[in-house]
Amino acid sequence: MSETDVKARASKKYVRTFIFSMRTGTPIEKLHVVTKVFMIVVLSTLTLYMFDIPVSRGGPDFIGLGLLLVLVFSLLAISRTAKYLVNSYLVLSIPVILAQFFWWLFFSESLPGAKMTFYLWPGFFPIGVSTLVFVGTFVLVYFKTRSITVSLAPAVLLWWFTIMPSVLAHSSLATWIKFPLGGTYSFSLPQWSAYIGFAKALGYAILIYTSFLFLLTTRDVEIGGALRQLRVSFRKAFFVMLMFRNLNTILLDYESIRMAQIARASSVIRSGILSRMKDLAYVSIPLVATMIRRSTEMGVALYARGFEASKGMTNYKETKRLSGVDYSIMALLIAFLIYEVILGHSITTLFGR
Amino acid sequence: MSEGENTVAKTETKFPWSNYTLKLGRGEPVSTTQYVLYAVQIAAVIILSYLSVAVIPLSYAGISIFYFVYPFFLVFTMWWGAWGMLGAYVGCVVGAGVLVGTGPVPSIVYSISDLVPPLIAFVLYRGLLSKRGYDPLWRDLTDKEVAGVKTKRVGAWFWFILINGVILNIISAEIGVGVLYKFGLVATNGFWPFWIGWVVGDFVAMVIITPVLVKGLTSLVERQGLVNHGWIT
Repeated sequence: MSETDVKARASKKYVRTFIFSMRTGTPIEKLHVVTKVFMIVVLSTLTLYMFDIPVSRGGPDFIGLGLLLVLVFSLLAISRTAKYLVNSYLVLSIPVILAQFFWWLFFSESLPGAKMTFYLWPGFFPIGVSTLVFVGTFVLVYFKTRSITVSLAPAVLLWWFTIMPSVLAHSSLATWIKFPLGGTYSFSLPQWSAYIGFAKALGYAILIYTSFLFLLTTRDVEIGGALRQLRVSFRKAFFVMLMFRNLNTILLDYESIRMAQIARASSVIRSGILSRMKDLAYVSIPLVATMIRRSTEMGVALYARGFEASKGMTNYKETKRLSGVDYSIMALLIAFLIYEVILGHSITTLFGR
Repeated sequence: MSEGENTVAKTETKFPWSNYTLKLGRGEPVSTTQYVLYAVQIAAVIILSYLSVAVIPLSYAGISIFYFVYPFFLVFTMWWGAWGMLGAYVGCVVGAGVLVGTGPVPSIVYSISDLVPPLIAFVLYRGLLSKRGYDPLWRDLTDKEVAGVKTKRVGAWFWFILINGVILNIISAEIGVGVLYKFGLVATNGFWPFWIGWVVGDFVAMVIITPVLVKGLTSLVERQGLVNHGWIT
């Protein structure tokens, strides 16, 4: 890399990543893309293992999962990309994580352990942690959306979830004042259903935020550079680069076509689910036609620049070398993987359940 | 020419789609335009896979109740052979897997479910049904005739629904939901609800979108000489 290139790169404060952008100079930005890929693969493997430990072997590794979640959020904070996650996908991911919890709560096969009571309505109106959850959620969502209806729905839902478990409803720590109101409506489930549901939700959150960590802190060009370092031919590396570079363009094309469709009142004229599906089908023609036109133009441009005849291409200037930090992180991850998956230890049992 | 060779030659030129076969290609390298097109179509499948799972309500862990990318990669495979299959697989790994938070390890394995249907459909249509008078580019689903040859529309729809909508869809759901179940991402008693959601979601999308896509674009793609004669070119 020439001195001018180094200076140009150092003067850049932000660089474009797969989604949004990332501040340069953070420890995560300096990591090699191979380390990042290795990290998400190991974290995902650990998560899948930790939340699937059978009840007969002590059940999911809750503390281990909790530590992984803290680790992922810490890495997001260090990379200074957490704000993008909060502004975009954090709220969207919460229903998915809650859905995971409820699926496992109600669709698990019969599990051992004492029955736990859940209230549809506990027979009193509680003031306590549930109130804080309601107010906190309402304020947070209202601050983002400025809509009372939109803020009220998740606030009520989360408030209801916090009054459902009998342990919370009757705990003096969680419920400070009770106002008798109506009858009690409840159902019982094995204690392990709730534990496993919680572990699955925690694990799914790790999988989601680990993926975002990678997408928020990785540049497409880094992948091209890493492939060249791995001695993949230029044509193959450039193919992968083309693929990733066009993601954003196609998403923009899709949005533009959808907007054009809405401008032609498609969403007003058609209201049924089937009609909306048909609308989606009609997006496909302009989308694919645009894709073909763009490819032809890019193909001609590449041809005109002598792409087919090119030999001995220079490497991408974003190519990095694996540093001591990269090797240390990979070694730590391997050690953690051996400890948990191969030796079968659990962080939860280390601290004692 | 012997009588046997004569019969083969007659069969090969009997239909306007007889040049679309299971050979590797026309013995020429991938052109720059094709090279770009194959990369861009994979990007398109990634985005559509992502939107199919992330935007459609009630979608869960890579399973969508209206997986509208399914007909896209089926049609792309019919046009572009192995590149369409690559698009289906990579699109599912990245778009319906990593981008929606399923995690790289389960995504790499469960995406085989999106590779199998286009692979089998391509082999069946190009290797078998095209010789029985059914267009491997599926124009007979919407057109009464292709290049002056009368099409068998009822038969075309029958095979299309049976192969892609029923058999391959069921295989795909079995692999996909089975893998997610094994990885502990689908609840113990949730296998069948998800399995049904997968099959219905893919089927509805296929029936609604494929004819539109074929009617609107196949002729354009063929006219530009962008349809693969074999697996690669």
